[in-house]
Amino acid sequence: MSTLVNSAGQPLAAGQTVTAPDQGFFNDINAEVHDKGFLVTSTEELFQWARTGSLWWMTFGLACCAVEMIHVNMPRYDMERFGVAPRASPRQSDVMIVAGTLCNKMAPALRKVYDQMSDPKYVISMGSCANGGGYYHYSYSVVRGCDRIVPVDIYVPGCPPTAEALLYGVMQLQRKIRRVGTIER
Amino acid sequence: MSFTLEQSPTTGDEVISNYTINFGPQHPAAHGVLRMVLELDGELIERVDCHVGLLHRGTEKLIEHKTYLQALPYFDRLDYCSPLGMEHSYVLAVEKLLNVEVPIRAQYLRVLFAELTRICNHMLNMGSHVMDVGAMTPNLWLFEIREDCLNFFERASGARMHSAWFRPGGVHQDVPQDLLDDIDAWLDTRLKPLFEDAMSLVVDNRIFKQRNVDIALVSKEDALAWGFSGPMIRAAGIPWDLRKSQPYDVYDRMDFEIPVGTRSDCYDRFMVRVEEVRQSARIIRQCIAEMPSGPIASDDRKVAPPKRAEMKSSMESLIHHFKLYTEGFHVPAGEVYVATESPKGEFGVYLVSDGSNKPYRCKIRPTAFSHLQAMDFMCKGHMLPDATAILGAIDVVFGECDR
Amino acid sequence: MTVLHSAPRMAPNDGVIDAVTQTLGGKLLAAREEHGEIILTVARDQIGTCLAALRDTHEYQQLMEIAGADYPSRAERFDVVYMLLSVTRNHRLIVKVTASESTPVPTVTHLWPNAGWLEREVFDLYGVIFEGNTDLRRILTDYGFEGHPFRKDFPLTGYVELRYSEEDKRVVYEPVKLAQDLRQFDFMSPWEGADYVLPGDEKATPTTAAPTPKATESKAQTGAGDKANEKAADKASTGAPAVEPIAKADPAPPEKTDSRPKKGDKA
Repeated sequence: MSTLVNSAGQPLAAGQTVTAPDQGFFNDINAEVHDKGFLVTSTEELFQWARTGSLWWMTFGLACCAVEMIHVNMPRYDMERFGVAPRASPRQSDVMIVAGTLCNKMAPALRKVYDQMSDPKYVISMGSCANGGGYYHYSYSVVRGCDRIVPVDIYVPGCPPTAEALLYGVMQLQRKIRRVGTIER
Repeated sequence: MSFTLEQSPTTGDEVISNYTINFGPQHPAAHGVLRMVLELDGELIERVDCHVGLLHRGTEKLIEHKTYLQALPYFDRLDYCSPLGMEHSYVLAVEKLLNVEVPIRAQYLRVLFAELTRICNHMLNMGSHVMDVGAMTPNLWLFEIREDCLNFFERASGARMHSAWFRPGGVHQDVPQDLLDDIDAWLDTRLKPLFEDAMSLVVDNRIFKQRNVDIALVSKEDALAWGFSGPMIRAAGIPWDLRKSQPYDVYDRMDFEIPVGTRSDCYDRFMVRVEEVRQSARIIRQCIAEMPSGPIASDDRKVAPPKRAEMKSSMESLIHHFKLYTEGFHVPAGEVYVATESPKGEFGVYLVSDGSNKPYRCKIRPTAFSHLQAMDFMCKGHMLPDATAILGAIDVVFGECDR
Repeated sequence: MTVLHSAPRMAPNDGVIDAVTQTLGGKLLAAREEHGEIILTVARDQIGTCLAALRDTHEYQQLMEIAGADYPSRAERFDVVYMLLSVTRNHRLIVKVTASESTPVPTVTHLWPNAGWLEREVFDLYGVIFEGNTDLRRILTDYGFEGHPFRKDFPLTGYVELRYSEEDKRVVYEPVKLAQDLRQFDFMSPWEGADYVLPGDEKATPTTAAPTPKATESKAQTGAGDKANEKAADKASTGAPAVEPIAKADPAPPEKTDSRPKKGDKA
């Protein structure tokens, strides 16, 4: 009997269990493709699968969080392996990452960019300033949360959230899209 | 009612009137939230009207409502590319009012991390500058260095970016010797190869030179009159560096050189930063070699908190800790203006105290304000695509510019 | 005072005040050295000539910053503070003028072009007017902002906040409404400095007392007549047994109410 190891290659501690990917599922699909040469699914599921695989995000870097947002695209974290690529044009992007403090003067521009994005569109609010004003909550010139301006799908906490946290937030958005499909508004 | 028939200027080709375009506030080359209204004559820029304040967060007003220690993290968030450089001015201003002595190890640590911040900042700036003028690869490599720097910050303070690690009276926590050894090794094994490789792609690159050489020339007189500082004034040929001329902490013990430009164009500004990274590496090496052991914060218990272990046994320490983290320390009345050489230039703090535990007024002197204001005269007569190169060479960050 | 701190060390301040006093003469209202900084106060209408003199004869080439400050208790409530830097003499100078809302400060844009934005900022945040600045627009606050936010009487949270209105399809301003107020603590000891009512104490305020305590000095003053006076003179408390409490009739129980309202009773 071989000893079980966890993902890091270390022997398992007591009480730890391994959840292997469902091999039966893959075998079934494999067999089906080999047998028939095609797969049958609903168009809706196909679209959702495609959407999760190419979330092009609108670079809406406002403040400190923008730096972490750049970091997550750089080689160390490399968000593009999830098909999540930066776009500078709202017309071509699916998801907007609001990264940083949203100020009163900037809010109309944020809304305009959001309105210009094509449906289906999603918003990730990154960092405590975008979530609810954060450290600048009581300031006279700060919008107390970007959800006052645009509807938000995923909130990523932190000041700023680490690049890993944002990556996790993007993965959460992918899960959400898979689960609920197009979010009706 | 009479109608006048308008001739289309494009067909006749006789008269092309000036037209105005709006750049930003959401533009990938704007380095944040800058809005520029550009008046163009064909592709030549006639006039630039910068609209700033799109990231105005009222920091100075918020600081007036916080104690001195609570106000410190706001400085991290001003220039988020070089957080510790911002903290440096503030803690020195508070220390100047308090006239508190900082242990020598803390001074070394501050200088070390301020220089690491400078490297970190220049990596972001140079990477985005070359990207703005069309190169992609150097940026990827430079960000790898930045990622290493952020890891060092995390190991020292627990936070990748907003460390809040410089405190009035010293630094927050000591660093383990392992970290210093790793930084020392990193200078050779990572910084040097990555940085020099990236620069070998850029500095002699024909396209990069075409986009930057002789763009936005600024004379020495103009640089002085417009209040330039940092790499901007050094590129103009004035060897002015506050680390040398008005040394703070242990900069007077450091052996380093000030790079100076000759032509004062965007290329010079870039090259000054390139050399500054090498000099920063020199300073870091000296800091690690010379750093003594000892305390890392002032032993004035009215300013710096006691050690955790001390609090377990000493009632007085417990009281001091409680008072410091609720009421904070009181700062003698007076006003000071303290400026340090942040990676972007002179970053100053004008601090007015009324003797209470909160700043009465804290005016922040951003580096970008003077530089960005000069956009108008630097852009005049240049082509529209040059505006991004000029903006990249200014090294502007709006958290600091708009406050 | 020995210098213990490690803040930037520039050229010494010795003799600077004397030299400046000689140049500026009567335009200089006050000069002091404090915490290692030289702070000059000059006459408001002379700020241009003073700074020109400092720039040209004393080599303070750079204007690094113009800061505003608000002292509401003063008649001329604002300070406008100019930070000068000499790169040749390696020295800094702080020059101040005072101003009020209605007294404009002469601009220095003709001396340093970068004063333009700096003055705009002071105007935006404090409402100090700079005479001669041709481009005195707001710079940092929102387009169409009202008020001057850095004045001490301007609340930190402002008066309005933004949200997107689904009906108007645009971003609208509304009066500010906070879910939780900004908590402000002060740390004055209630035994020493606090000259205000502590939170909760207002409930315990006694009813207004008469200015002089009323006392009866003679029996005649009680006003209840002789009988009562005699009774009052008789000190019942001395050695007397405890007076039994007056028996009070128990209050009647409240009338029963119906457990549920009758039909048709809907009000």
